[in-house]
Formats: sequence, C-alpha cells, structure tokens
Amino acid sequence: MATSLMRKTLGATCLGLSMACASPAVWAVGDLLETPARPTELAPQSLLNDVAVAGDRIVAAGERGHIIYSDDEGQSWTQAEVPVSVTLTGVDFGTENHGWAVGHSGAVLHSSDSGATWELQLDGIRAAELAIASQEEAIADMEERIEQAPEEQVEDLEWALDDLFFRLENMQADLDIGPVNPFLDVWFENDSHGFVVGAYGMIYRTTDGGASWQDWSQKLDNPQGFHLNAISQIAGGALFIVGEAGQIHVSIDGGETWERRESPYPGSLFGVIGTGRVNEALAFGLRGTLMYSADLGKSWSVVSTGSTATLNDGAAEGDRIILVGNGGAVLTSGNGGDTFREYLRDDREGVMGVVPVSDTNLLLVGEGGVKHADPQGKNLQ
Amino acid sequence: MSNPTHDKGEHYLTTPKAEPFLERLIFNNRAIILVLLTILTLFLGYNAVKIQPDASFERMIPLEHPYIVNMLEHRDDLENLGNFVRIAVESKDGDIFSQEYMETLKQITDEVFYLSGVDRSGLKSLWTSNVRWVEVTEQGFQGGTVIPDDYDGSRESLEQLRQNVLRSNEVGRLISDNFKSTIVYAPLYETDPETGEPLDYGTFSRQLEEKIREKYEAQNPNIEIHIVGFAKKVGDLIEGIGSIAWFAGITIVLTTLLLFWYSRSVSGTLVPVFTSIIAVFWQLGTLRLLGYGLDPYSVLVPFLVFAIGISHGVQIVNAMAVEAAKGFDAVTAARLAFRALYIPGMLALISDAFGFLTLFFIEIDVIRDLAVAAGIGVAFVIITNLVLHVLIMSYIGISKGGIRHVQNHGEKQDRKWRLLSNFSHPGVAPISLLIAVIGLGLGLYYKQDLKVGDLDQGAPELRKDSRYNKDNAYIIDNYSTSADVMVVMVKTPVEQCTQYSVLRAMDALQWELANTPGVQSTASLADVSKIVTKALNEGNWNWYAISRNQTIINASIRNAPSGLINTDCSLTPLLVFLEDHKAETLQTAVEVVEEFAQENSNEEHTFLLAAGNAGVEAATNEVISKAKDMMLIFVYGVVSLLCFLTFRSIRAVLCIVVPLGLTSVLCEAIMAVSGIGIKVATLPVIALGVGIGVDYGIYIYSKLEKYLLEGKTLQDAYFETLRSTGKAVVFTGVTLGIGVVTWIFSPIKFQADMGFLLFFMFLWNMIGAIWLLPALARFLLRPERMLEKAREAK
Repeated sequence: MATSLMRKTLGATCLGLSMACASPAVWAVGDLLETPARPTELAPQSLLNDVAVAGDRIVAAGERGHIIYSDDEGQSWTQAEVPVSVTLTGVDFGTENHGWAVGHSGAVLHSSDSGATWELQLDGIRAAELAIASQEEAIADMEERIEQAPEEQVEDLEWALDDLFFRLENMQADLDIGPVNPFLDVWFENDSHGFVVGAYGMIYRTTDGGASWQDWSQKLDNPQGFHLNAISQIAGGALFIVGEAGQIHVSIDGGETWERRESPYPGSLFGVIGTGRVNEALAFGLRGTLMYSADLGKSWSVVSTGSTATLNDGAAEGDRIILVGNGGAVLTSGNGGDTFREYLRDDREGVMGVVPVSDTNLLLVGEGGVKHADPQGKNLQ
Repeated sequence: MSNPTHDKGEHYLTTPKAEPFLERLIFNNRAIILVLLTILTLFLGYNAVKIQPDASFERMIPLEHPYIVNMLEHRDDLENLGNFVRIAVESKDGDIFSQEYMETLKQITDEVFYLSGVDRSGLKSLWTSNVRWVEVTEQGFQGGTVIPDDYDGSRESLEQLRQNVLRSNEVGRLISDNFKSTIVYAPLYETDPETGEPLDYGTFSRQLEEKIREKYEAQNPNIEIHIVGFAKKVGDLIEGIGSIAWFAGITIVLTTLLLFWYSRSVSGTLVPVFTSIIAVFWQLGTLRLLGYGLDPYSVLVPFLVFAIGISHGVQIVNAMAVEAAKGFDAVTAARLAFRALYIPGMLALISDAFGFLTLFFIEIDVIRDLAVAAGIGVAFVIITNLVLHVLIMSYIGISKGGIRHVQNHGEKQDRKWRLLSNFSHPGVAPISLLIAVIGLGLGLYYKQDLKVGDLDQGAPELRKDSRYNKDNAYIIDNYSTSADVMVVMVKTPVEQCTQYSVLRAMDALQWELANTPGVQSTASLADVSKIVTKALNEGNWNWYAISRNQTIINASIRNAPSGLINTDCSLTPLLVFLEDHKAETLQTAVEVVEEFAQENSNEEHTFLLAAGNAGVEAATNEVISKAKDMMLIFVYGVVSLLCFLTFRSIRAVLCIVVPLGLTSVLCEAIMAVSGIGIKVATLPVIALGVGIGVDYGIYIYSKLEKYLLEGKTLQDAYFETLRSTGKAVVFTGVTLGIGVVTWIFSPIKFQADMGFLLFFMFLWNMIGAIWLLPALARFLLRPERMLEKAREAK
C-alpha cells in the first residue's frame, strides 16, 4: 500500500512539475502522505481544525497531521501516532473506539483504539480515481439517455453532458498534479457506515468501516462541484450537508438519497448542527449568518446573531447553544437560539471547534490550539 | 659598579662584552639621527592627522567563513530585508486611541516620510494607506485603511479606528499588544536612488534624534519615542567612537601627573609623554599610508601604543636617574641606561609585537587590522623609546629634583623592597606557590562557564542600559518580534523559487526549527502561501496548507513582500527568529539547519546558511572558537621561544611564563563570572595581555639573573632587582592600566569589556611578576649552575 502510493504520488507530481522531476531527485523531505506526523510538544498550541468526543475522551485534529487526545477534559494531551503530515480538517467517532479523521491530500485516517493510533484508509489519488470512474460512468449513462431521449430534450441533455465532461477534465487535470484536494469533514454512524465530504463537491461513502469507498457525488445535486464544508446528523436521524454558495443537502434515509434544499442565504455555510430536538437544525457560515429550520431544512428562518464573524462550529445542550467562529467569536444562547450574545476573545484567534465540558465550561480548538474557556468563551485562568 | 666607564656587570650570555655596536651607532650620530627622526615625524604626523574613521560592517565579520561567503554572494537578493528602522511612539498615559496621540503620530509619519534615506513606498504606520483591514464577505474581500476615511478625531471615529485596528491583523506588529504604542516602520535605501550616495548612518541617526525624538517628545509630553534598527545602531556606534577623543585626553593627563609624581622631574615627565605621542603619530600616519581607517577596534590601539611607550620610557628615566644620581653627566647616564635596557627593552617590545601578530589567526578583518596597527605601533615604540627618547634625554638630562627624588627615597624604599624580597624566601615561596595553585584551581573551576559569543539581550555592541538597548527591550516586550534573526537562503533554479517542492521543503525545515529550543518563530514564503490560500478560501482555517496546485500557490504569493522573492525568483529567504543570541542558541539552530541542508539540498533547492545578524554571529562564534586555542598556543609559544632565545634556559622561561598563564586563567574565570563571552573584542585581550604582560617578567628576570651572576644569593639578588627596577615595573603596570581603564566608560560595550579585561591583565601580570616569579625562581633556578655556565661561556 505504502509503496504503491509513493509511486503513484511521485508519478503524478512529476507530471505536474515535469521540470523538477527530470532528474531523479530524492525527496528526503517526503511526501506529506508518507511522512508520519512529527511528535511535538507544540501540537496542543498549533492550529486544530476540529474536535470530537469518543466516550470520555476528547480528540482534536489539525495542521501537520496532528491528532491529540485527552482523557481529562483537555487538562493534558497525548499526541496520537499518525502516518501522515497533511493538514487535518475533520474528525468524528462512530463508536467509542472507532474514529475517522480527514484532511488535505484526500487523506482519510482510521483509528480503532479511540484515537491513539491511526492508519491511512484513503488518499487523494485513489479518491480521484474513484470519482473519475464514476464520472465516466455518468457520462456513459448520459450518452445513453441522449440516444433514447425525445428530440426536444436532447439539447438540454447535451448541455448536461458538456458539464459532465468539463468536470471530468478538471478531475483529470487535478489528478495529474497529485492528491490536490482536501476533505473538509467526516461523519460516521457506527463502526462501518460513514461519509467524508470535501472540496469541489467530493463525497465518498463506506459501509465496511473504510475498507472500500464509493464515490457518492452523483447522488447530490451539485453540478458545479461547490465545496461541501460540513456533514452532521440531527436528532431524528436526518443527515445534513452544507457547503459553498448556500448549499444544503439533506438525507432522511441514512445517506442513500439526498435532496437539495433552498437556502435563504447565498454565501458559504461552514457548519450545521442539530438543536437536540427532532428534525431541528441550525446552519451557519460567513458573516455571522445563522439559520434555523424545524422541518428538516425545507424552510429556514434567519436568526440575528449580531455578529459579523464567520461561524465555524457549534454545540447544543438543551436550550444552550454555543457557536464559535473567526476573530475569536464565541456566541452563546440560553434560550434555544432565540437570542445570542457575542463575546470576542482577547486573542482574536479563529475558533474552529467547541466541546462543552463540566461546569458549563467550554473547550475550544482553533488557530492557537486548545483553549479552556468559561461558559461565555472567556479564557479560564 | 664604582667604575662607570668600564661596566663589567652588563653581560648576557649572548651579548658581546664591549660597548654594543648599536650604542656606538646611535650615540656617535646623535644630531643626524634626531634630524632624520624629526623629518619622519613631520611626514607621518601630517598623515596621522588626516586619518578617517571607518566603521565598515564587512570588516567586522569573518569574510572567509562559508556562511558569510554565502551571505555576501546573495547580498543583492537579500537587500532591504534587514535594513529598516522601527519608531515606536508610546502613549505614556492612556492608550493610542486619543485625538492628541493620533495627531502626533500623523506628524511623525509625515516627518519620517521626508527623511532622506527612507524608502517612502514601504513606509508603514497607522496613517499610511498601505495599512489596511480586510474582511471576507459573500462577494469576496472588503476592506479599507485602518484610519477611517471620515476620521475627524471624534469619539465615534476613534471607536471606528479601534474596530479597524482589531480587524487589521497588525496587532503585535504595528500596534503593540497593550494598545499603548504603535510603530512607524521605515525601510531604508542602502544607496539613495536619486543621488546614488550611500546612506550616511551617522547623519541619518542624528536626524532621527533631532527631528523625531527630541522634537516630538518636546511637543507632546505624553509620548515617548523608541527607535531601533540597524541604521540607528550603527549611528550610535559612530557617536560612540567620538567619545574616544575624551578618553585619550584624560589618559594623557592622568599619565603625565602620575609620571611626574613618579619622577619628580619635568624632563623625565614630558619627554616620555612626548616621545610616546610621537609613536602614536607614526603609527596612525603609517596606517593611513597603508590605506587603513580607524574602526571601533583599531581606535584603541593608540592607547596601547601610548601606554607601552610610557611604560618603557619609565625604565629609561628610572635607569638614567639612578646613573645620574651616581654623578654621571647626561650623555653618559643616557648611554648607561641604553646599555642596560636595550636587550630587555627590545625583547619585551618584540614579544609584544609578536603577541599582537598572533591575532592574525582570527579570520576577521578588524582583528587583523588591530594586529597590524598594534604591531606597527610597538615596532615604532622600539625606535621612539630606545633611540629618540634616549637621545633627547642625553641632551636634556634628568633634573636635579628628579635625582634628589631617587636619592632621598633610597632608605625608605629599601625597607619596602627588603620586605617584598621575602617573596623569594625559602619559607614564603612555598606559600606563594600554594596560593597560586589554589588560584589556578579556582580559575579553572569558574572558567568552565566561559561562553563563546555575546550573552546579553539586545545589540551586543552597545551597553545594556544604552538608549538603544532600552528601546529594543521596549519593543521586544510589547510587540511579537525578535531582534535576533538568522536567515537561511533557499536557492533554486531561475523562476523556480515558488515551486511546491521548495515551499514544502521550507515548511518542513521551519517545523524542525519551531521544535528546536531557542527558536521563537520562523517565517518564509510557505507561511505567506498558507495564510493567503486560507484567505482566498473565505478565511476558512481548514484551507491553511500549501496547495499542491502550482496555480493556487502562484495566486497565493502574488502579493508576497518583495523581500521574500528575488528578481529572477532563484532565491527565497527563510527567517528564523531566535530568543537570544547566546552561542548555544545559535549553535543549536545552526545544527538543525546544517543537518537538514545536507539531506535536502538538491537540484531543486539548496539550503544555504546564513544571513541576518544571528547568522553573522553564528559564523563569528565558529571562527572564534576555532581561533581561540590556536591563538593561545601561538602567543605562549612565541613568548616562550623569545624568552628562551634570550635567557637560554627553560627554567627562566618557566619563571616568566607561568605567572602569565595564571593570569590568563584568572582572566577567563573573571569573564565567565561577569558574563563576558569570548568574542571578537575579548579574544584579542588574551593575546595583548600575554604579549604585553611578559614585559614585567623580562625586566625583572634580566636584573635578577644579572645579580645572581654577580654571585649574590637569590633573596639578595631579588632585593637588588626590586631596588633597581621594581619601582619602574610597578609603575609600568599602573601606566598600562591607566591607558586602558578609561575605556570602561565607553558607550560601546565591547570597548568597555576590553578595557576592563586588559586593566585586569596588566595589573595582575605585574603582581604575578613581582610576587610569583621570585617564588618560582626559588624552586627552579640553580644559581651555582648558572655561575658555572657563565664562566664556561667566558
């Protein structure tokens, strides 16, 4: 696995940088997908993009392949063994033991020991090959449809075929460069079934714990290949994906089929969470945008947050809702999201994830690593 | 002794018994020689006056070290990376968000804009249009200048300003963390693009003081101004050299007074001072003819030359007074003094000169210049002291008062010398040796902490409490920035400096360095690419990475600071900010880079050390560590050899050299204890200390040997030695000490360090010669054997 990956990666990179690879240069600095994360004491103070809970354990992932975990609510951290050094963007646990982390270069990592050690399950080359294969299949299907279609539909279908070809060309150009595109989020239902989503409309599904992956992008109405920024499940079991340009996709059959929802907001959404009540969801993104839906996303109402900060992540516990974002923004609501109060943290550093801990305190992760905060988001001494 | 015309006593194993040839040559042509020397003095004096100060940065660094070779080779590509001044305007009461503060800041910004030498396009302050805040919106970016367009000093516009500042990403860079000061950042031109003139650091620095600091601190009493930057530092150094003139004056006055107190003779005072000053003129004139200028190191050499001239002149005055007291006329007294002193005098001076020449082992131009300057100076002292001085004295003679002084004090002095002669007593000598061994042990113990390099924070050239270093400390405390920067130059084929492989490798090295103790932070094009890639993706931190897609990389560095990419994109710097510039900090960082460079330098990218002030210091430290032992071996080797050639006895050599060794060890221990590192300035001290320090031993031993060969016992011989030369030796130590002690007050730190250490070495070597030499002689010398050998020689 590792050797074949190296060959592929280098081969692909050399196509992109033909000058550079003309001579048999040795990469003593290895490819990021083959360079294990360096053990470092700096990991808890470096950029962390996501945080997840595995039983009593808190696990956070971030730049340079850093995955750290804590069994004491973030007082002390241990760095996990990770076989890659790419920037990681998402982490999620399907069970207490089984977790997945995703990131740049199309990396999907799996842990079966609650986050202590990780192995690479999927990389950007294989992901792109899967997507290209399914794109070619879609093109073949489309060509078949055009042959059988009534005259008046042919022109529209040919436009659609052009779109498919255009995207295929982009995919192939990207693959020529190498594993260029990042995954941006991950969700797992249990130890076998889950999704990873990412840039340019990437979405893959596994039902065997990551042993095999299926390209799922054809199941989403995203012809322009906008980024899919976040995926989560809300109370009642529905799955939500939000992304670039106000995209919202919802599945009520465990991810088999997806429906595109209209968004009242055209800008990017970076996160979606359930409120804890059945079928209720909050989606949020650029410029303090927050939207609430009580009907599986069919209709949304915009909630005024009074904030202009990009919101990245959130957490809900009963009537208490916490949203975190760039510029040190921490928004808290004690009334189920009717009103929020904004606190801008002194360091003004971006916050990418939040986990409520005991005494209604908060554990924040982001630009400057791990921070312990009071219920409003202010640093604890 | 009673027959002055036939002096049997003056025989060395190497010298002919008759009147030496040199003595005849000099004393038979007194007038001609004086005329010739006068002409020479006029010529060299004319040149000496015209010598120019010369504070060239290049001469202070080890030009042959590979780091420096790399740095100079790529100097044009790195230009302007380091040459800027930062002017922090601090609000003493309240924060920066007040109308008065902003008004003053605006005026200062305008004033700096018009200073000649400032690269106006790069000028940055809250009031310049290139300082902006940026926000991501649905449509892309939105932004504006930090000062609101409709700024009118009202509460509302100040509040708007506060908002913009928070959004601007400049907190910690242009605005202090506590919002009590902001920086006016002014990049400088090395050469003025309009006139083509190189930047005059002295003038520029003075303008900063007069037009910025003094003017605006007076205008608005609530602000305080802090200025740092290479140009300011060099300006302050140039100012510092100026104060040397005061030291020269003070030294001459002190020495003259001391000399008069010692000789009680006007001629015995003025003639040595006069001839020593002439030696200084000769030295400076010759330097100018050789094309040298005066830098902060070589400006100290005239002090040494003067002090050495005086200290040897004292021997002559002393000898003449003693002879004149016996009733000889001026010419005869001068002749006898010459005969008695030309061998030890020449030997002492030649060993001084050789001591200096060992400095040539340090591959740093200022030190080599120092060696040349000092070598030339001492060579001239041989002539001014042993020829000019003696000849002038042969005309003038010692005044009656001076002779009386020698006679009157004979009895009283004798008691003192008698007491001191006990150092050679069989009972006292072992105690002395024991003390010496304990001293040596303590010295060796403390000297373990001796460090290479500069140890204090801030600009090492200036004092810790200097205005510059206080300003520097203020900026370090209040801004996220370090003053100690090492630059790794990453070289690539033309147009390849932004390739993914290059950025990836730089990023890998940066992370290794970030994990290295002593490294505060790093910066390179890789960081720019990551930050801008993130910004271009709607400010989402998930995108904080170097893209493998070259198109994205190119977009991300389109607006990178020009200093990070050279004109043909074949070189990009990697900046390493260090916590301090201690030698270990530098060494650790350098080792990480060296190891990385070895594994990862290939056709795509070569990692070259090192530019930046810390890079230069790392190279300097390496040169110094290597030169240190070589220099010690050679200076002791040369001194020992010269002593052996003169006295033809290893025992004699040990008697003279062992006290010097003890002083050297103690000097290093003192350096360790007082936090002075081995550096460009202090390494020469050891060579100078040994080279000059040996004089005392030579004068004492030559007399001691003479009296032993006359058949006296050791203690008697030592008593006679002290009687005839002890006073001169003590006086020599004091004059030399005074010659350098004024440097301690120099605003330039390394001059102060040199002054302190040389003062210690000169005095301790004198004490060592008087106290330890006789004790060693008690154990090492065998007077019977010496007499026997002398008889055989006859």
